[in-house]
Amino acid sequence: MEKEISAQQSLEIIEGMINKAKNKFSDNSFLYLLWGWVIFICSVGHFIMIKFSLFNNPEYIWAATWVAVIYQIIYLVKQGKKETVKTYTDEVINYLWVSFGISMFIITVILGRGNTWITLYPIILMMYGTPTFLSGVIMRFTPLKVGGICCWCLAIAATFTPSLYVLLLLALAVVTAWIIPGYLLKVKYKKDNV
Amino acid sequence: MFKELDPILHSQLRLAVVSLLIGVKEAEFTFIKEKTNATAGNLSVQIQKLKDVGYIEVEKQFKDNYPLTTCSITKKGVEAFEKYVKALQSYLDAGKK
Repeated sequence: MEKEISAQQSLEIIEGMINKAKNKFSDNSFLYLLWGWVIFICSVGHFIMIKFSLFNNPEYIWAATWVAVIYQIIYLVKQGKKETVKTYTDEVINYLWVSFGISMFIITVILGRGNTWITLYPIILMMYGTPTFLSGVIMRFTPLKVGGICCWCLAIAATFTPSLYVLLLLALAVVTAWIIPGYLLKVKYKKDNV
Repeated sequence: MFKELDPILHSQLRLAVVSLLIGVKEAEFTFIKEKTNATAGNLSVQIQKLKDVGYIEVEKQFKDNYPLTTCSITKKGVEAFEKYVKALQSYLDAGKK
C-alpha cells in the first residue's frame, strides 16, 4: 500500500535522494596510479640508461606505455560491468581523458614528423596539466588541481632545462599530478563509501 | 489557490526513484533498490508505473546471464519533477503565511 506523504516529507525525500547521488564518483584512483607509476618508471629508467649509457635504444622503454594501454582497456571493461550507476560527472571526466589521449597521440605524430623532439617534453608536461587540473575542478579535489598546476610550472621549467634532465621533471610531474593524488583519492573513496 | 500535486510523483517510493534519477545519467535496478531501501517487488511495481506515464525509460538487458534493468529519467520526467517541486513550494509558502 502507498503511504500518504506531506509536502514537508516530500521535500525531505527529494533532498535525501539528491544527496545520495551527488558527489558520487567512481573510484578511478587505480588509473592515476597505473599511469603515474608507468610514466615514472619509464622516465627514470630512460634517464638512467642514457646517463650510464646502458643501452643503444633507451627510448624503447616507452613501449611499456602500450602494455599499460592494453591493461587499462581490460580494466575499464571489467570495471564497467561492476558499475551500477552512471553519473554525468563521471562521463565528463571520462571524455576529458579520452580527448587528452587523442591529443597526446596527435601531438606525438605532429612533432615526430617535424623532427622537433626537443619541444616534445615541455608540451607533454603542459598537456598533463590540463585534464589533471580540470578533473580536480570537476571532482572538487584539490590535490589534482595542485598536481595540474605543478605540471604547468614544470612545463615552463623544462624549456630551460637540458633535455636529459627533463626526463626527471617528467617523473616529478607524474608524482605530483597522478601518484600522490591517486593515493589520496583511494583513501577518500574508501572513507566516502564506509 | 493550490497547484495540484502530481499524484504519480506524490508517493514516497516513486518520488524517491525520480529524485535519484534526476541527478544521474542512468542507474541500475540494484542501485535504486539499495538507495531507496525498497523491496524488489514494490520497486518493480513503482518503476513500471513511472514507465507507463513516460517519466522514466527502462532498458532490460542481460549481463553474465543475469537480467539487468537500467533506468533513466526522460525529458517528460524532468518537466514533471520541476512542476512538482514548484507546486510543493507553493504549498510550503502557503503554510508559512
